[in-house]
Parts: sequence; structure tokens; C-alpha cells
Amino acid sequence: MTNLEYITHPFFAIVFVIILQHRTLNKKTNKMAFEQDKYILKVEGLAVNYGAVEAVKNVGFDVLQGEIFGLLGPNGAGKTSTLSAIEGLVKFKTGSIVLNGFDVLQQPLQAKASMGVQLQSTSFQAELNVTQILQLFSGIYGVPLSVDGVKTVLKEINLEDAGQKKFSQLSGGQQQRLSLVIATIHNPRLVLLDEPTTGLDPQSRRQLWERIEAIKARGHAVLLTTHSMEEAEAVCDRIAIIDHGRVIAIDTPQGMIDKHRDDPEVVAVSRRGKITLEDVFIGLTGKAVRD
Amino acid sequence: MENNNVSIPKTSTALAALFRADIATMVSNRRSVIITLVVPIMILISWKDIAQKLGGAYALSTAIGIGLMSIGLMGYSLAIARDRDKGIFQRLRVAPLPSWAIMVSRIAIQLAMISILNLAIFIVGYQVDKVTLTGSGYVAAFFVSFLGGAVYLSMGQLIVGLVKNPETVNATVRLVYFLFIMIGMFGELGLLGNYVKEGIHWTPYGSVKLMIAASMNPATWNKDATTALLLSLGYIVVFAGIGINKFRWSPK
Repeated sequence: MTNLEYITHPFFAIVFVIILQHRTLNKKTNKMAFEQDKYILKVEGLAVNYGAVEAVKNVGFDVLQGEIFGLLGPNGAGKTSTLSAIEGLVKFKTGSIVLNGFDVLQQPLQAKASMGVQLQSTSFQAELNVTQILQLFSGIYGVPLSVDGVKTVLKEINLEDAGQKKFSQLSGGQQQRLSLVIATIHNPRLVLLDEPTTGLDPQSRRQLWERIEAIKARGHAVLLTTHSMEEAEAVCDRIAIIDHGRVIAIDTPQGMIDKHRDDPEVVAVSRRGKITLEDVFIGLTGKAVRD
Repeated sequence: MENNNVSIPKTSTALAALFRADIATMVSNRRSVIITLVVPIMILISWKDIAQKLGGAYALSTAIGIGLMSIGLMGYSLAIARDRDKGIFQRLRVAPLPSWAIMVSRIAIQLAMISILNLAIFIVGYQVDKVTLTGSGYVAAFFVSFLGGAVYLSMGQLIVGLVKNPETVNATVRLVYFLFIMIGMFGELGLLGNYVKEGIHWTPYGSVKLMIAASMNPATWNKDATTALLLSLGYIVVFAGIGINKFRWSPK
């Protein structure tokens, strides 16, 4: 056989095609792995409707690994609807949500296992005590806790004496600490917090910020919604401002201030000359009070 | 996008955790459990003469039927309406477990309650009214009562499917409970006229009672009992079908 005959032989042709396909696949997989490494959550073209009401319109953003990302917006802007779509609590009309590489519609259980959630108004069965609540959720997330395990967890959040108390008997700060530890009990890749510091006193709020930063330090990403500009500036690496169901700006808190400090709407609402994130927020979303 | 490894908890592990929590809730609510048992037992005790006149099966099936009504309407639907209103279901739904598992655990608790009810009625019936059944009668009545329980559970599901406000659910189930007891019991005894007496057999109350009474003496199972059984199945399919279809996990 000549060299040319070797190359054109069907066997070698098949081997060649297989090698080529393998190389292309590897390239593709590496690209996917790169994207995967970069983003823990990717939301594209999201639209959520409640009957005729369009709550979320074409929303898109990414949350990077190990990042604290804040969703800011006035009341009724679409923050909670966006979060609910990610959590699988509402069906979205169009768009896609990929969490930890899992499409939330195609692989909901894998997506849910990759996230930890603290809802806006967390409530647990009134009849259960703190120990029973922890054992319930640790069981649901597949990380069952023994009585000693529960004690260790409660000690970590300074609730070692509250094991037999009902959830309603805890203070606001204690309830938030318990909710947060339940949200992270299975070591999720992304933690979703819906207005986590609402109603907390300054001490409890600071403590919660430290706990959120500790989640980030462990390599997890956090997506939170908040009305507090102070909170957004204090803990968020990047923020998105959402209004009337659309994302109107995404940047770092300082980047957003720098970008909009000369906007006439922002300057007009500034109270003490120095432009703050709140000035930018009100400048972009308007002064009208939302219900 | 490539997936990162993630372990989904076994449904059996999650179900066990839910079931343990629901048992703890039931134990904590023992007062309402006792009330569920007290009403049919009181009827059984106060009906001592009626049991002698109309037969043990009549008295036992009436008591079981009323107990099943309490479990399905009061126990199940009120708990579902309350937990939905408080957002407890939403918190469970963001966890990696299928939604049906949440309901399976709730229904399993109600089935356990039906077992307790049956045992209590059989024991009190024997102790107070000296009512005894054959072995096959006890077994058949025990299992048929689960079917009767399913009629009332599906009716409870229908109510929480159609009504979202927990206060309205509360008022609705009490009204249905009261109507069923008043019209069912008095109508069956002929106190509301022959028309009602005949028609009552084919209502959920009447068909459940007829079916349970017939199962207590399997040898006398007749065409009416079969019709009642088929009707009960029909009620379950219709009530549960609409109730599940219309059910929303959130009150909003």
C-alpha cells in the first residue's frame, strides 16, 4: 500500500473522523467548562406574567462564582418575581435560567439542590421547635443531622439555648440566623436571599452582613434583593437596578455612582451635594412612591 | 453549559423527614386529634339504644363516617389552608424534592388518623354497645373506611383548591360538616321526609356510610353497596381532579 492508499483507506478515514470529533467536542466542553467556572447563574430574556400583568420583561444578568450580587428596585419592580422564577416558584413565560449548569425547567431538582433559599417571609410549621425544624430541612436536603449535630449548628449561630423554642418565640435576628443556616445547610453553590435584613436592628443587620460575607469566603455566590442602598454598598460586589420589570443598570456600586454622577436626574435628587448610590437609584427609577 | 456535580437527596429520605415533622405536628396538635375522635365516640355512646334497634353496623358506620368527615374536612383542609397562607409550602417547594412528596406526607398522616379512628370506634363499640363483627367484617370495614376517608379528603382538597382565603376555608368546611351531619343523620332516619331519606344514600355522606356498613357484614354485600362503592370512587375522581387542578401553593 502506498501512503495515499493508507490515508484514503476507510478504516483510517473513520479513525480520522473520530479523532476530529473528539477534538471538537473537547474544545466545546472546555469552553462550556470555562463558562461554567465563570458563571454560577445565567438569566436570559426572562419574562414573568401574572395574568395580563407583565411583572418581569426580558430580564438578563449573570452571577459569577464567589460573588455577592444585589438586585435593587422599588416596590413591585419585579425583584421577587425574578427570584421566584429562579427558585422554581413561578412559571416564566419566556427566557432561560441556568443555575450551576442546570436548566431550572429541564432539571429542576438538580438546580434546587444547587441553591439555598431564604424567602422574604420565611415561616416554618408553628408546632415544630427549632431542633425539629433543623432536622426537617437537613433531612429534606439529604444531610441528616443527629441531636449532637443540631447542637453544633445551633452553637455556630448563637442559638444553643433555643433548641426547644418555637420559631415564633425567636427574635427577628434569631429567626434570620436560623433561616440563613437552613438555606446553607447543604452547602449550596448559590444562596438566594430575598430582603434578608428587613426589620432587623443595626446590630443584627451587621451580623447578617458578616454571615453573608462568610458565605462568599467559602466560595459560594449570593444573590440578594434589598431596598437598602447601604446594604448594597456594604456587601454587594455588583448590583442590578430593576424597574418596571426591566434591568436598567448593572455595575459595581461605585461604578454605578461614577457612571451616573453627572446625570441631571441624579444631580437633581442629590440632597447634600455628594452623590450617593441612593441618589443614583432614585435618579434612575424616579421619585414617585410605589405601592 | 456543563453541569457541576450535585447530589440530589433521595425522595425516601426527604419523605421520611417530612413524615417525622408531620407526626410531630400532629402530636403537638393532640387536642384537635382528640376532638376529631371525641365527636364520633360521643355519638356511639349516646346512641346505645339506636345501635340495639338499628343494628351495630348502622351505629359503627355512622360514627366512622362522621369521624372521616372530621379528618378530611377539618383536619386536612384546615391544615393545608393554614400552611399555604403562612408560606410553609413555598419554603418546602424551593427544596429539591418533588411537590407530590409534600402532599403524600400530609395524606399519610390522615391515613394514620383514620386507622386510629377505626380502632377507637371498634373498641368503644364493643365496650359500650357490645357490637361485634366477624373477623372479615373488621378487616373489610377497616379497608373500606380508607376509601370513605379518601372521599372526604378529596372533598377537603376540592375546598382548598377552590377557596384560597384560610378564613373562608374554615367557614366553608364547618358549613359543609354541619350540613352533612344534620341532613345526613336526620334525613337518613326519615325525619326530613321520604324524598330526602332516599336521596341521602347517593350523597357522599350516604354512599360512604352505606359502603362501610355493608363491609361490616361482607356476606350481605349487595347491589346498593356496589353502587355506593362506585359512587364513592366517582366522587374521589371528580373532587380530587378539580381540587388538584385548581390548587395553588401560594394564596397570592
